[in-house]
Amino acid sequence: MNRRTITIVFLFLSVSVLFAQKIISRDLRVGLVMQQTQYLYNENGVGLDYTCERLLDKKIHIKATYLSSRLGSAIGTNALKQDYYVFGAHYYFLSKESLQILAGLNTGLFVVDYENPAFDVLPKSSAILAIETGLQYDFKLPITASLTAGYNVRSGNGVDIPGSLFPVFYKLSIMYRIKDI
Amino acid sequence: MKLVYTILISCLALIACNPQPEIDNATMLDGNQINDLSLTQPSKYLVSEYIANPTTAQKDTPVIIAAHGYSATTFEWDELRDRANLKKTFYVSQVLLGGHGRDYADFKAATWENWQEAIKTEYQKLTTKGFKNIYLAGSSTGAPLLVEMISSGYFNAFTIKPKGFFLIDPIVVSSNKTLTLVGLVGPVLGYTTSVLETGEAGKWYVYRPQESLKQLMALIDLTRKNLEKGIVLPTGSKLKIYKSKIDATADPVSAPMLYKGLKTNDGKNVEIEMYDSDLHVFTRLRGRIGVTAKDTQNQTAAFSDMELQVKL
Repeated sequence: MNRRTITIVFLFLSVSVLFAQKIISRDLRVGLVMQQTQYLYNENGVGLDYTCERLLDKKIHIKATYLSSRLGSAIGTNALKQDYYVFGAHYYFLSKESLQILAGLNTGLFVVDYENPAFDVLPKSSAILAIETGLQYDFKLPITASLTAGYNVRSGNGVDIPGSLFPVFYKLSIMYRIKDI
Repeated sequence: MKLVYTILISCLALIACNPQPEIDNATMLDGNQINDLSLTQPSKYLVSEYIANPTTAQKDTPVIIAAHGYSATTFEWDELRDRANLKKTFYVSQVLLGGHGRDYADFKAATWENWQEAIKTEYQKLTTKGFKNIYLAGSSTGAPLLVEMISSGYFNAFTIKPKGFFLIDPIVVSSNKTLTLVGLVGPVLGYTTSVLETGEAGKWYVYRPQESLKQLMALIDLTRKNLEKGIVLPTGSKLKIYKSKIDATADPVSAPMLYKGLKTNDGKNVEIEMYDSDLHVFTRLRGRIGVTAKDTQNQTAAFSDMELQVKL
């Protein structure tokens, strides 16, 4: 299964989950995500953030994010080309407020392309397991901004996890908010 | 609010503690009794010392300036030197990095630029004496020190350019990713401790002060960024990377980063060879326990290749 197929399946599943429910109050946020890994790359992409009344009265958000160094540090440089496909479930402590504190878990898939068969002996992919926490603010305009920090529990170890999966990362998300879809 | 103040004061107290290790002077390189032998017997380690006035034939003989890794000593390249003494077709000049091979305080105070100075000094001396075929080999941290010399344009000032570079298990990314947290936890921990085999005692520092770990992190981060921008070798130089495919110290991902980031002066890729090894600095076997036939085969293959490269 190549990268394009994985991306299409990932986006299809994300959107399907959102609409496989009866008519209830749902919020959807879509937008840009920018990630800076400490001591490594800037990796950018897109994200979805979904919540509804059934998820503890909108205290739990389900998120899907695609990030890539191809949209960041690897543009015009020799940085490695690597991609993240991330699913997360985050708990919002002040879900009714404009300023919210969040914390949660992420999982997914990390893939790196070494672009040379000499490196076929190296691990190219890994499951992701990360914790993330931070702040989110809903502006009066339908824009939401969030600033979070996270830690990849599974990070490169020189043996069986790609070495460019680093532990500490910071994210900035700017999303368009669609309430009560 | 009281809880916040308590936590803050506790953190400051921990940072202010600046823990110091317990050093056994009789057995540890970190102490004041054991030093790298190159400090007292430089003529046994440095070509610039033991061939003070080279003949024409000696000036044409290849010299490999060998730079060891972080917390190590000249011991790391003893086996290549022994091979050179046996084959008599090339010389090995073992430099001792600044701050290394001395004591804990020296190691703690040294910057990565200090580490690098010894390599530059030997290169200057050899070119001044007229040696024409100079190669540089770096193991582990020795490798990014060489790469930084290339990227900074250090060799531009010399008429005699290096003929080539050998990078053995180079580190651009550490396998132990807690190194990226050294800025946060370093001041609290003070130092880390490494476990040495019996045969390695007195050849590596046991304790790694957080100041030196920060220097290491700064060096490899700088190297990574320079590789992303692209680094061109000096005119006429070649470069080969020898990397273990499993390495618990220098993450093997360092190899593709170096391969992508380095180009020869005429735009070609550098050479790369991945080895079926799980040793860090697989060319150094002396002092290890459990050395296998495969390990010996890998060392022989790498040394033979380096010997062939300097003959070309």
